[in-house]
Amino acid sequence: MTISVGSSLPETNLAHMGENGPEIVSLHSLLKGRKVVVFALPGAFTGPCSTAHIPSFIRTAAAFRAKGVEDILCISVNDPFTLKAWGDATGATAAGITHLGDADGSFTKGLGMDFTAPHLGLIGRSNRYALMIDNGVITHANIDAPGVCEISTGEALLAEI
Amino acid sequence: MLSEGMTLPDAVFTVVGKNTVVSVSLAEKVKARRVVIFAVPGAFTPTCDVAHMPSFVRTAAAFRQKGVDEIICISVNDPYVMQVWGQQSGATEAGITMLADAGAEFTLAVGMAYSKPAGGMLNRSRRYAMLVENGVVTHLHLEASTGVCDISGGEALLAVI
Repeated sequence: MTISVGSSLPETNLAHMGENGPEIVSLHSLLKGRKVVVFALPGAFTGPCSTAHIPSFIRTAAAFRAKGVEDILCISVNDPFTLKAWGDATGATAAGITHLGDADGSFTKGLGMDFTAPHLGLIGRSNRYALMIDNGVITHANIDAPGVCEISTGEALLAEI
Repeated sequence: MLSEGMTLPDAVFTVVGKNTVVSVSLAEKVKARRVVIFAVPGAFTPTCDVAHMPSFVRTAAAFRQKGVDEIICISVNDPYVMQVWGQQSGATEAGITMLADAGAEFTLAVGMAYSKPAGGMLNRSRRYAMLVENGVVTHLHLEASTGVCDISGGEALLAVI
């Protein structure tokens, strides 16, 4: 399937670091009956993700909440241990952004958003996109071209909702 | 399956260089040299971070005194994550080389892969340490459980070489 306004994301299990270790959470359980921002990126500790994409959502997290957004979820093909370390390092966790790991990459692949760059050591990773989702239905979808971080930023999505 | 007496297959790993990600050939690393290689389930995971890595940081100098040319840490992570983990754990400062088996090719080829979906860990490496002399495994310390760091620790390998 592809991502489009008016459709829903498929159900999937994502890995999250809880207080007592890794937990598996259902994506749909996080979307049901709520306004949620979901954005995806290639990976923890990679250049533009750490220097541009994540900071754009840290800057705008409070503004999203002021517009009624209840949760901001960041999905990447990483394990929960790496995501915890990254969230602590970037300030994303402190800003209330929840990191979710598509650890086996199946969700990303199912959406057709995966890319592989063996020379960079990135296998089955996610291209960048940012979605506004209301009760499970995508109301805004900003999907960047591979390698680009422009319309999937926090500011660009915020301006549209 | 990895075992003493076997010649390691060649494999390509990735590492973040000065300006970009570079590929490293295992065959070149081990040819005509004494190399310690230890493998861990993942960067930033508890046992790896608090026990396994520190044991090699502590023993790095002693290994060199015994004629070890290089100490290499292998993990199924991408090179960006390995770079940051190396910096945060003190491994890089201790001269330990962090090699990313990003697509798990080496780990699968030597029969060391395991998966634990509930922990968000797919095709990761079992925990082991070995001395490799001119490409041949001369000592192998493989842990029975991934959550334990006992015989695969730096001190245990140092004691037998």
